[in-house]
Amino acid sequence: MTNIELALWSFPILLALVFLRAPIALAMIGVGVGGTYLVIGSSMMTLNQLKTLTYGTFSNYSFSIIPLFLLMGQFATLSGMSAALFRAAESFLGHRKGGVAMSAVGACAGFGAICGSSLATAATMGQVALPELRRYGYPGSLATGALAAGGTLGILIPPSVILVIYAILAEQNIEKLFVAALIPGILAAIGYMIAISVWVHWSPNSAAVKDRVPWGQRMKALGQVWPVILIFVSVVGGIYAGIFTPTEAAAVGAAGTGLVALASGQMSWGKLNQAILSTAASSAMIFLIILGAGIYNNFLSLTQLPQTASVWVGDQGFSPWFVLTIVLLMYLVFGCVMDSLSMVLLTVPIIFPIMSVLDFGMSANDFGLWFGILVLIVVEVGLITPPVGMNLFIINSMAKETPIGQTYKGALPFVLTDMVRVVILAAFPPITLWLVWVIDAL
Amino acid sequence: MYRRLQIIVELIARVLALAGGAVLLCIIVLTCVSIIGRALVPFDIGVGPIRGIYDMTEIGMAAAIFAFLPWAQFNEAHARVDLFQPVMPKPMDRFLDLAFNLAMLVVAAVGTWRLYLGMQDKLSFGETTLIAQIPVWQGYAASLLGAVGFILVAAFCVLRSGRRMAGLPD
Repeated sequence: MTNIELALWSFPILLALVFLRAPIALAMIGVGVGGTYLVIGSSMMTLNQLKTLTYGTFSNYSFSIIPLFLLMGQFATLSGMSAALFRAAESFLGHRKGGVAMSAVGACAGFGAICGSSLATAATMGQVALPELRRYGYPGSLATGALAAGGTLGILIPPSVILVIYAILAEQNIEKLFVAALIPGILAAIGYMIAISVWVHWSPNSAAVKDRVPWGQRMKALGQVWPVILIFVSVVGGIYAGIFTPTEAAAVGAAGTGLVALASGQMSWGKLNQAILSTAASSAMIFLIILGAGIYNNFLSLTQLPQTASVWVGDQGFSPWFVLTIVLLMYLVFGCVMDSLSMVLLTVPIIFPIMSVLDFGMSANDFGLWFGILVLIVVEVGLITPPVGMNLFIINSMAKETPIGQTYKGALPFVLTDMVRVVILAAFPPITLWLVWVIDAL
Repeated sequence: MYRRLQIIVELIARVLALAGGAVLLCIIVLTCVSIIGRALVPFDIGVGPIRGIYDMTEIGMAAAIFAFLPWAQFNEAHARVDLFQPVMPKPMDRFLDLAFNLAMLVVAAVGTWRLYLGMQDKLSFGETTLIAQIPVWQGYAASLLGAVGFILVAAFCVLRSGRRMAGLPD
C-alpha cells in the first residue's frame, strides 16, 4: 500500500471508530499512531516525539487562551448579565410583534460578546428568557428554536473558542478574525429576528406583545449592561490595538467577568468550584482533541497527503467556487453529526492548504479570514440541526413541556436564515472583510 | 469495596481539577498584575511587567491541563458521536465502551511514561525557559501529578465499564 493510500484509508477507519462512539480524541490518537507506524515501520519516532509532544502541546502559549476564554464564559453565566441584557433588549424590542423572542436573540448576541461558547450562551439565556417567552404565549417550538439559534451567536460573535483554534491551525491573525466575525455575527442576529418576525406574521396568535417602553427607561436598561460593553471593548479592542496578547486579553476578560460575578453576589464558593470543574472538563476534552489532531495530522503530512491533494485539486482546473461549495456542503453534512470543534481540528489542516491554492481574486490574508468565517458559520449550523444538535438538546431539556420534535421544527426557519447568510457572505467577501480593511487603514 | 474506590477516585479527580483551576486563577491574577505593571512603566515609579510571565503561563497551563484530564475522564466528558447509539445492540455498545476505556488507559500510561522520560531528558540537559530561566523539568514534574492521576482514573474507568458490561450498578 502506498503512503497516499494509507492516508486515504485512514479517513473511513477514523470515521468508523468515531461512529462506534470512540472518544474523538482517542480515535485520532489511535489512527495517527497506527498510521505513522505503518509508514515508518517502527514506533521509535512516535515514542520519541511523545516525550515532548504532550507537554509541548499543553504548554503552547497560543493555546492557553482556550481555558481562559472557557472560564470567562463560566463566569459570564454567573455574572447576572444575561438578565440585564435581556431586560435591555426587551425595552427596545418588546413592543413589536414577536418582540420577546427577538429580545432573546438580541440578548444572546450581547452575551456572545463576553462568552465564547454556544452551549453556555444557549443555556444561560434559556434560563432567563424561556419563562418570559412562555408567559407571553410563545409556542414551545418558536421559543426553543429561537434560543437554540441565538446560542450559536455565542461563538459567532467574538470572543470565540473555535475562531482561536482556526487561527492557530491556519496561521491567521486572531485579532483580525475577531473583527471579521463581527459583521457576520450581527447579520446572524438580524437574520434570526427576521425569521421570528415572519413566523409571527404567519401565525399571528403565537405571541403577545409588551407595552412600549419610554426612551428614558430604555436608556436606563441599556446602562445596566455597561460591564458587558466594557469587557468586550477591552478584550477585543485591547488585542487589536496591540495593548496585550490574545492570551492576556482572555485573562483580563476572565478577571473582568469574574469581578462582575462577584459583585452580582451570585458567585458563592460552590458556584466557583462548579465553574472551575466545568472549565476543567471542557479544557481537558479540547486539549486531548488538539493532541490527537496533532498526532493524526503529523501522520498525514508524513504521507504528503495535504500537498498531493492540493496539487491534484489545482491540476484539475476546478472552478474555485465549485470547490468552495463542495467544502462548505461537506462541513454542513458532517456538522450534523460531529462536534464542531473536532471537525475544525480534523479538517482545517487538510482543507486549508487545498483551498489556499485556489484563486478567489483576493489576497492570501483576506482569504484566510473570509474562509475562516464561512467555516465557522457552517460548523455552527450543526449545533441547531438534528440529529446531533447540542443547542437544541440543551434548550429542549430546559423546556420540559416541549417535545424535541417541536424544537427541531422551531429551529428550521433559523437554519434557513443561516443558509441564506452563508450564500450572501460567500458571494460578497467584502461584507466580512470591510471592517478589517477599515480598521487596518486607520 | 467498589463504592469506596469510586469515592476515592472521584475525590482524586476533583482535587486535581480544582488545583488546576487554582493555577488557572493564579495565571489570571499574575497576568493582570503584569499588564498593570507594564502600563505603569512610563511613569517610572520602579514597577514593570512581571519578568517571564509568558514562561509562567506556559508552565502553569501545562500543569493545569494535565490536572484537568482525570476529571474529564471520570465524568466521560470526552467528545464522542452518539448518533448510532440507539441502534447499536446494548452488549456491543458496552463492550466497545470497555475497549475504548482500555485504549484510553494505554494512552494515559504510555503518555505518562514518555512524559517522565521527557522530564529526565530536560533534567540532564539542564534546559531552562527563555526569559525567567525556570528549569523546564519542573514544568514536566508538575504535569506528572495530573498525568499519574489520569492513569489512576483511566484504570478505574476500565473497571467501571467492565462492571457495566456485567450489568452491575455504577
